[in-house]
Amino acid sequence: MNTKLSNNLTLLFIFIGITALISVFLPDEFLSLRNFASMGRQFPEYGLLALANMLAMTTGGIDLSVVSIASLSGVVSASFLSQYQTVGMPVGTVIVLGILIALAVSVVCGLLNGVIIAYVRVPAIIATLGTQGLFLGVSIIITKGHGIGGFPDAFLFIGNGSVLGMPTQFIIFVVIALLAGLLLTRTPQGFSMLMYGSSPQVARFSGIANEMVLIKTYLLTGLLSGVASLIIISGVNSIRPGYGAEYLLLSVLIAILGGTDPVGGFGTVLGLTLAIFVMQALQSGLNILGFSPFFKKFMWGLLLLLVMVFHYYRRMLAQRRAIRKSAAQNAPPGSKEAAGGQPA
Amino acid sequence: MRTLLRRNEFYLFLVIVVFSLAITIVNPAFFTIENMFDLMRSSAGMAILAVGFFVVLLSGGIDISFPAVACVAQYITVNAIIALGIDNIWLAFAIASAIGIAFGAANAFFISYFRIPTLIVTLATMNLFHGAMLEFVGTKAINAGQLPSAFKSFGLADVLSLQRADGSTYGLSVFFLVLVGVVLVTWVILRYTVLGRVIYAMGGNLEAVKRSGFNIRRTQFFIYCYAGLLASIMGVIYVSLIRFSSSSVIIDSELLHVIAAVILGGASIMGGSGTLTGTLLGVVMISILEKNLVLLGLSNFVQQFFVGLIIVLGVSITHIQKQIRNRRSLTLVRE
Repeated sequence: MNTKLSNNLTLLFIFIGITALISVFLPDEFLSLRNFASMGRQFPEYGLLALANMLAMTTGGIDLSVVSIASLSGVVSASFLSQYQTVGMPVGTVIVLGILIALAVSVVCGLLNGVIIAYVRVPAIIATLGTQGLFLGVSIIITKGHGIGGFPDAFLFIGNGSVLGMPTQFIIFVVIALLAGLLLTRTPQGFSMLMYGSSPQVARFSGIANEMVLIKTYLLTGLLSGVASLIIISGVNSIRPGYGAEYLLLSVLIAILGGTDPVGGFGTVLGLTLAIFVMQALQSGLNILGFSPFFKKFMWGLLLLLVMVFHYYRRMLAQRRAIRKSAAQNAPPGSKEAAGGQPA
Repeated sequence: MRTLLRRNEFYLFLVIVVFSLAITIVNPAFFTIENMFDLMRSSAGMAILAVGFFVVLLSGGIDISFPAVACVAQYITVNAIIALGIDNIWLAFAIASAIGIAFGAANAFFISYFRIPTLIVTLATMNLFHGAMLEFVGTKAINAGQLPSAFKSFGLADVLSLQRADGSTYGLSVFFLVLVGVVLVTWVILRYTVLGRVIYAMGGNLEAVKRSGFNIRRTQFFIYCYAGLLASIMGVIYVSLIRFSSSSVIIDSELLHVIAAVILGGASIMGGSGTLTGTLLGVVMISILEKNLVLLGLSNFVQQFFVGLIIVLGVSITHIQKQIRNRRSLTLVRE
């Protein structure tokens, strides 16, 4: 537990370090309100996908279909929303229906993933690899490869508006992250997910309905992707299948950087959020410092490797300390016994 | 016969045959030698990547850095050849191989010394390598005019030439030889050497291999360097095929297709089981889906959908079979 907790500390220090470093170089631009507002606009869409992958990873799975689900629900919802002038309904109704459609499509996609993983027992990485192509394929067929755009103005509020000076999507992300945190730490579902992730057999023998836990997990990852799709289509006022393909690896990377154990059994929303902040600060910082966007790829890789190597050394140190401690504890009684035994 | 029926490869082969027949009925142009040769030329690179991915998967690891390795290897190689002015395909292979092996060694270093899960290491290095190249080498595309002629003539070289009715010729690409070489070497290593058996055993039970006294670290270095080498060979083939080199080819297109091919071929994602035959059949299946749906009169838009559908159905059927088998063996035990 101790090492897991300190992962968050490490990330916090990295975040502060990056922020401080860039602020020293270019205080006016990086520390400006505008920069923070634009950061708050950028990260929620991939942050939600990373959150989805974190949840999948706590059960020892992974969801490679998050971007495709976002693509599909975005496309279906967009084809409805873009017809707002011709469907003959009040704009408000169209928007509510559009949002519900996106969420419904994403839940159906998640359900399909869940059934394949839980009942057919295909490993999550393969199942979602397949559905990734399937969902993207359907969205390409629907649009014939073109983009769909032109939504009601009020709908664009999700991706462009702000509440109390904060970007709308930032608030959406914070609320959802809080809910996900509560789910993971305070509900039977969250407990079962972590339990299943540490050991499916133990979970089964403890009377947990593994299949339902998995199905709910992938329903959730689907739903999160659906919310991300709404933010995406509202932010750019259009959708094109294949948008955000690079988010897939980014979401996995952030989940792992956030201390989630990809084998299952551990993951925290706080760690994930810190990892998102680190990534976003790094990206914006490098941008402001005038580095090319390519350099951030390099830095992502480097950061992930360094954090993992750092964890390795800390784990080794902790182990060595534990061994020394147990040796120190075991030795005295042993020697006493030997000393007491000889005279008798 | 019974063992044949139980094998995943057999069913995959049947599916391919049925599928090919269906395409041939709709469009006789599919089942011609010329189209087969074309299919061979365009999918040899993917097959080589699949073999490398398969070896890593067998050992219980997963290496998703291969598209980045192939991309970086081809781009640096082409640039180096232009800079050196020595227009020789062997030199190109030598440079690319060195890059591929070096990247593989970097993967193996982090995997074996720091015991970081393979997925995480290769996820990190793929970004690291590709990002570093984009930043420090450049992003300028090299078109067919600037591409050294060694690549172009290698891409056009045939080992076997046939004549069409109108007198023009077509042939079996030299890529076929490269692929056969790769498959043979891999097959011999996996089947007839201690190294190969250790790779299988590592995927089955790593702890058991450790306790038996095998050098895990050295084997890991071999596995990841070999995968890197194969990826870099694919990079050179790819450039020769499309006669164009840029800093972003291969990256997006190949990763998921190669994984899909290997998994369809019956290799276990947990490692320890799978065959080279299955992997190659998986590549054939995916290549046909990818490149020949057009012959069925279907538009390119449905291609993605069908690839996804085949993977979902393929792995689902395999796993349902496995469950049924498990249930049967359980009841036998009870009796």
